[in-house]
Amino acid sequence: MASEKTATLAPRTAKSAIKSDDSLRFLPWLFLAPSLVIYTIVVVYPMVYSSYLSLFRWDGVAPTKAFVGLDNYGILLTQNDVFWIALRNNAIWLVAALLLPTSIGLGLAILLNSKFRGSHISRSVFYFPSVLSLAVVGLIWTWIYHPDLGLLNQVMRTMGLGALTRNWLSDPNIALYPVIIAATWNAVGLPMLLYLAGLQTIPEELHEAAKVEGALPIQRFVYITFPLLKETTLVVLAITAINALKAYDIIYAMTNGGPANRTQLLSTWMYFLTYNYNQVGLGTAIAVVLFSLTLIFAIPYIRFMTRKT
Amino acid sequence: MSQQISRNALLPGKAKVVIFYVALILATLFWLAPVITLILTALKDAGDFAVNGAFSFPKSIRWENFSEAWETGVKNYFWNSVIVTGFKVPIGIVLESMAAFALTHMHFRWADRVFTYILIGLIVPMQMTLVPLTLLMNALNLIDTLTGLTILYIGFGVPFGVLVMRGFFRTVPVAIIEAARIDGCSWFKIFYRIALPLAIPAVVSLCILDGVATWNEFILAQIFLRSDELRTLPLGLVQFSTQFSTQYDQLAAAVLISVVPIVLVFLFFQRYFVAGMGGAVK
Repeated sequence: MASEKTATLAPRTAKSAIKSDDSLRFLPWLFLAPSLVIYTIVVVYPMVYSSYLSLFRWDGVAPTKAFVGLDNYGILLTQNDVFWIALRNNAIWLVAALLLPTSIGLGLAILLNSKFRGSHISRSVFYFPSVLSLAVVGLIWTWIYHPDLGLLNQVMRTMGLGALTRNWLSDPNIALYPVIIAATWNAVGLPMLLYLAGLQTIPEELHEAAKVEGALPIQRFVYITFPLLKETTLVVLAITAINALKAYDIIYAMTNGGPANRTQLLSTWMYFLTYNYNQVGLGTAIAVVLFSLTLIFAIPYIRFMTRKT
Repeated sequence: MSQQISRNALLPGKAKVVIFYVALILATLFWLAPVITLILTALKDAGDFAVNGAFSFPKSIRWENFSEAWETGVKNYFWNSVIVTGFKVPIGIVLESMAAFALTHMHFRWADRVFTYILIGLIVPMQMTLVPLTLLMNALNLIDTLTGLTILYIGFGVPFGVLVMRGFFRTVPVAIIEAARIDGCSWFKIFYRIALPLAIPAVVSLCILDGVATWNEFILAQIFLRSDELRTLPLGLVQFSTQFSTQYDQLAAAVLISVVPIVLVFLFFQRYFVAGMGGAVK
């Protein structure tokens, strides 16, 4: 569209002048160089090197590394119980992240998309936790879950549910779930924002027409709103999944993987193995596993982001 | 919303509106309960907290919590965060917008491939880079320096920055660029005299999103900063919480101090959050 317009507005020589612009042979690389160089050194090269290191047994200090092929992966799969706990926790976390923040975000977006007094301030309120660091979110929720003085147990006692109170973050059977709830509190904002943007693109007339035909709000949601939000939903699910697999800070701040490694994720277990137990080979192997899991969600996402160029 | 509600004939319109607002206010309070708890805890003394718990009004307000937390180390953490964010964000934005400009307006044959290569960085879990980065930073003597950390932040910021700026530059009409080119304007001039001034809204959005992300970053700071006096806020706070695990009043005050700049930015530049995220998805 834009180029058609140019062709008619500017003299005929305009396009060919740019096309045959000699300075454009190297100049784009010059513009790109600073970003590409630092990005390649800081992000890409380490990724490749990590994959390579996952094929060695190494403590991170010794001058020689022993090549062991895929043994590190074998060890993780067969001898490392915590790896399986972490993998299972990542799966639980992922499912929760795909269900909770996304649906709450969609619900809030639909509710707050309509204009009423206070709709703007409500959006800010519900988005607010998303601007806090996960370390801070973790610290705040650790107080909420404090066994004696925390808000949760206090409220439960006042409601006569004293028998159900517990030390939420120290109970090995459930400790992961309070952390997921805290993470959800932080994660709702982004889907809400993206859905609000998506809702703006739906023409009002569609809803008006449906109302005239006598469609109920629920029908309008199922047959108009949701189908038109399909693209937004794909982006939301991909971003939420990728972020869920990156979770780390909040575990570190709330449980540090405990009790008894029951809240380890692949990300935290990688840290423990590498930096506390000097098992660099196993640590990098976990990183590769984590990255492969991310790719399942990331490849469709990247395809989508690069589609219409 | 109120219109929609009043159309329903089951209840009188007024009553429905009242019910709606009561529900909304309750939901808001519920949502903010953790933050309210935090503020109440920061304002009371430790004894009050130990007796009455977090969610009760302070017997007397104790402002000293803030000054004590500030002097116990938060001051250092705060300024470290300011330094790192203050260098990372502007440098990053200059690099990222140059790259994004080349990808959108310079008739660059490799644009799509380079953009895909850059996008990979958005999805990489930090863990995938930690060990080689440790070796690299060690070799360059950059472990435990704010300079080293800032360089890493700039590198990790490239994908998101390029994504946002590219989304914006795509909306700049080609005609403007071509007209300037025909008038004999050099590409560097076109970039900083025409494209960049047009992109001010995108630059502000990116500044804010990037500033918040840098302010909040945890894992790289945790790995690459070793000494206490160099820690940034998120890392310092977590450390503070393990060291002074029972001094909830001071810890809450420390957390609150770390959150204040974010809250101010959020209140004043809210619409840019929306614009920035929109640019990232377009």
